[in-house]
Amino acid sequence: MNADHRIGDLLRELAPQVLGTLVRRHGQFDACEDAVQEALLAAALQWPAQGVPERPRSWLLRVAGRSLVDGWRADSARRRREAAAALDPAGPAPAAGVDDNGHDTDRDDTLVLLFLCCHPALSPPSQLALTLRAVGGLSTAQIAAAFLVPEATIARRISRAKQRIRQAGARFEPPPPPQRTQRLGVVLQVLYLVFNEGYTTSSGPALQRTELTAEAIRLTRLLHHLLPGEGEVAGLLALMLLTDARRAARTDADGAIVPLAEQHRQLWDTAGISEGVALLTATLGSSPVGPYQLQAAIAAVHDEAPTPEDTDWPQILALYQVLAQIAPGPVVTLSRAVALAMVHGPKAGLALLGTLDTDERMAHHHRLEAVRAHLLEQAGDTAAARQSYLQAAKTTTSLPEQRYLTLRAARLHQPIPPLLPDGLGATPGPYAGRLTGTDRRR
Amino acid sequence: MKYMIMMFGGLGATLQDRTPEWISGMHELMMKLDTELKEAGEVVASHGLVDPSQAKTVRFTGGVPVPTDGPFAEIKESLAGYWIVDVDEERAIDIASRVVAYTEYPMEVRRIMHGDDAPQL
Repeated sequence: MNADHRIGDLLRELAPQVLGTLVRRHGQFDACEDAVQEALLAAALQWPAQGVPERPRSWLLRVAGRSLVDGWRADSARRRREAAAALDPAGPAPAAGVDDNGHDTDRDDTLVLLFLCCHPALSPPSQLALTLRAVGGLSTAQIAAAFLVPEATIARRISRAKQRIRQAGARFEPPPPPQRTQRLGVVLQVLYLVFNEGYTTSSGPALQRTELTAEAIRLTRLLHHLLPGEGEVAGLLALMLLTDARRAARTDADGAIVPLAEQHRQLWDTAGISEGVALLTATLGSSPVGPYQLQAAIAAVHDEAPTPEDTDWPQILALYQVLAQIAPGPVVTLSRAVALAMVHGPKAGLALLGTLDTDERMAHHHRLEAVRAHLLEQAGDTAAARQSYLQAAKTTTSLPEQRYLTLRAARLHQPIPPLLPDGLGATPGPYAGRLTGTDRRR
Repeated sequence: MKYMIMMFGGLGATLQDRTPEWISGMHELMMKLDTELKEAGEVVASHGLVDPSQAKTVRFTGGVPVPTDGPFAEIKESLAGYWIVDVDEERAIDIASRVVAYTEYPMEVRRIMHGDDAPQL
């Protein structure tokens, strides 16, 4: 790792701490957030040439504080008193990140910031962008590049998000206990969206953008560190690690999708799998089970199978059945149909899929058609399978997926489907395993 | 100079009856060309659009805008994807020709006008 990387990592670690301290001193989340961005930019320009200051956190606080004051001076005389307080070295908040009682305020600040950026008044895209900037310490340009949108779009999205937070009257404090679980759920959802946006890009030519998955894992790791007793936080971190471990095998040299059953498993990241499994083992049973822990357990069963044929499908089916009870939804039904087909044959899976045809949320979704196509192919009904593949290809918004589905359809156009010499017939066969290869079902 | 190179047709019109080998070859060509244009710094933007069958068309009907399902043009004439490249006309035609040589399906090359201050991707 070179010096620039180390500086970048340090800056992003310090970003939420500095922002938290500033907001506690002055309120005004939006102005403070801009000031911290300016300080981060100044540091990124100066530190590589001049060296990292002895107390980098104080340096950033000082520069951000000055930028805040400059803004206020330009603003109005009304803020003069606050400006004086901001420059006062004996100001209300200590700079070291430890309050008078020796309490680690940085930890709390980062958590409160996460809650604030994932405020329910914001739309998910705004929550994502704001979280990545204010907590992740990414620049607007970096976020724009990660989401493949113009920088101006992200800049407006962030400024509108901050405006909304102000209008909603949100304060820089933890959510009140009755709302805490629900608000933590939103935070986890945002982190998972960041991960998925990176892992299965919702649009565009590339299937994965690793910088977003890495950032999602970093932030979830941070959250797990702050809240080690929360089973679902640990579960989400395990799920991300166990999913990301398969990254290198998910696409071939040309960037085309490789389904789970065809992946070269020696390319899977064993360190990531071990960490995810250890985390999951320590968590399961020690706190109330939740959807992230269950999905992590399913990912672990896949990751621990040395070959597709070794996959413990009955266990996966059992896990999906629990998941369907605690977090029912069409996407869970879809995945459960795959597991059901692997255990009890394609007809059983198709029957369960049929229950989704009348579900408004799923009826025209490409994944329903894609799963149906695979199960029909597994059942030997190539003509119907081909139609379903084509229908799925027409409705998907992912280019790699469209290519994959089109190719599957074309293969069924051949006189003899040469997919697997021994896969069709009475045994469930590894076809349905391919479905999980897109990893979109969660 | 910037040019838009446009590709037409949906799955039904261009891909449905091709062999897997043909489709794989087509994907390889597109990926290769994409990489080449990016590495040469020639591409300004490139996007594929979802299948034209998923389009909505808004028409002025009975005095009000009314959205209906389906594309404006016929599916085989609908825009399927585009590159915007910063090259001269000869090179833009050369890029399009390489795709047409494989697909045997027409592409359109058209200059982008000046004075367009929309944010560049």
